[in-house]
Amino acid sequence: MLKAIILTGAVAVALVIYFTLSLYIFPQSYQSIEPRKPQAIVTDVSLSASDIALGQALTITVTGTNNGEDADMQFVSVGFPNLTTTDNIKILKHDFDQTPILIAPGELLSSEYSDTDSSVLAQYTSIEAFSRPWEAGKTYSADIEVIPKMEGRFVVFIKSVALPHSWELAHYPQDGTLDQQKEFVEIYSVQVTKP
Amino acid sequence: MYGLSRKLFAGYMLVSLGMLLAAAGGSWDITNHLLNKPETFFAPPHAVLYSGVASAVVGTVLVFSASKSAAGKMIWPMKLVIAGVVMLISAAPVDFGWHSAFGLDGLLSPPHFVLVSGMVVGSAGALAGLSQSTKRVPSVLIIIAILPIWLAASGMIDMFSLPFSETEHFNFNPHPTLGVVVATLAFPFLISACLIGSSALAGKRFGVLSMAGAAFIVIGVLTSIIPNSALTSTIPFYISSIIPIVAADALLAFSRSRFSLYAAGAIVGLAFFMLYYPLITYTYNEVFESKVVWPSLIAQIYFEMIQDVLPLVAIPTAAMGILGALFIDRLVRKKKYSITTYSNWHNNTNT
Repeated sequence: MLKAIILTGAVAVALVIYFTLSLYIFPQSYQSIEPRKPQAIVTDVSLSASDIALGQALTITVTGTNNGEDADMQFVSVGFPNLTTTDNIKILKHDFDQTPILIAPGELLSSEYSDTDSSVLAQYTSIEAFSRPWEAGKTYSADIEVIPKMEGRFVVFIKSVALPHSWELAHYPQDGTLDQQKEFVEIYSVQVTKP
Repeated sequence: MYGLSRKLFAGYMLVSLGMLLAAAGGSWDITNHLLNKPETFFAPPHAVLYSGVASAVVGTVLVFSASKSAAGKMIWPMKLVIAGVVMLISAAPVDFGWHSAFGLDGLLSPPHFVLVSGMVVGSAGALAGLSQSTKRVPSVLIIIAILPIWLAASGMIDMFSLPFSETEHFNFNPHPTLGVVVATLAFPFLISACLIGSSALAGKRFGVLSMAGAAFIVIGVLTSIIPNSALTSTIPFYISSIIPIVAADALLAFSRSRFSLYAAGAIVGLAFFMLYYPLITYTYNEVFESKVVWPSLIAQIYFEMIQDVLPLVAIPTAAMGILGALFIDRLVRKKKYSITTYSNWHNNTNT
């Protein structure tokens, strides 16, 4: 009988300790840990020419870095607001951990650096080059070839976003023009002339 | 041993070890997919998984050849082992083909289902074979044989509860509520059946159930927590789940009452939400939080939910834990009955 009482008492105490730890002590302790703060930066953008003839290819080299803490994922986006097809874009080379993806108009995109389901439909063509994870201090780059389809000013939007988007510096640039996802972009352009 | 050849014994052991390796590799593979989004079949976790398959194949060859060299009689554990390993072998090329055809695959896919089913069937056969081989299976062997069943069956439950099965070509994700129901009912039953089963195989001696639980926790730490550097600080939390396991072990070892059996089942059943951290975050987040669960945010989201989830699921999980305990109790009684019947028949025949 005494043995049973001791056993029951010991088990009860162990369970009280366990559920107190699991429900109160550990949750309080771990919830106070700050989320990581990655810092997305586009360190270099170069265009192969400032003027090209219609039908000629333009090569864009883009380099991104994470100057903050590890990101679960970070991408560098190159958008082409003058393009609505993907057949005239090629990724010449890249050193990202995953294969860059081409986004065609009509595809779903997240917006406003949001983690929830506030998606928008893509209106123009873009490329997302990403690494998952993107560790602190790492740099990746990609060479992209595009052939403009019309004469005039051919615009290129560049941005980088680190995820989870835990603070202001998780996106680059910090201000400027808003793109289709209501996210800031740097604008580059070339003049496309008659051949 | 009841005249069981060393070859057969070694065969069952290799099958169990191989299935354990394969199941641990599978668990690591899930974490790798979450963290690194691998785009090729040739990933390190796949190497571990298929090394385990190779070991299981060697073990099955030994089992098969032992069955031939014996009286040509193939007992049902042998049949289970062979069926399980055939399923594993046939799943590998189909998995490779699936990757080649559809790129990144989800958790639930036809080849993965066959693979995990083969692991469950084969490891159950190996455990049955080992337990038939001797009156008392050594403690270490009990743990080696029970863990692959536990891990493989967990993988099967994961397939029908985790939202990891939507790919470009297919969406095999369960409905979020169904996923929660499956996890809430199946995991506690499984934990209870495996842990109380290990205790029963050891004749309820103290320590075996605790060691089986500790081994499960170590595998969880190695394959699901350490690869994700954001979670390493939560290892003390995860390890603390050894407390209810040891408590259940003590109840079963030091008390023979039916109440202790029920209490042990309920206690380990209640620990399911902690034992299946961190992956279970994804299942319950779908219903309770609806956030995007980035790998570095798993801990925050999990600990936001735990106070809401645990009280809500306490009764069903305790009930399923008791059911798991009763299931094992029924199996043990059936086994004892069949051994007694066999002994009586044997004695009568001899007289």
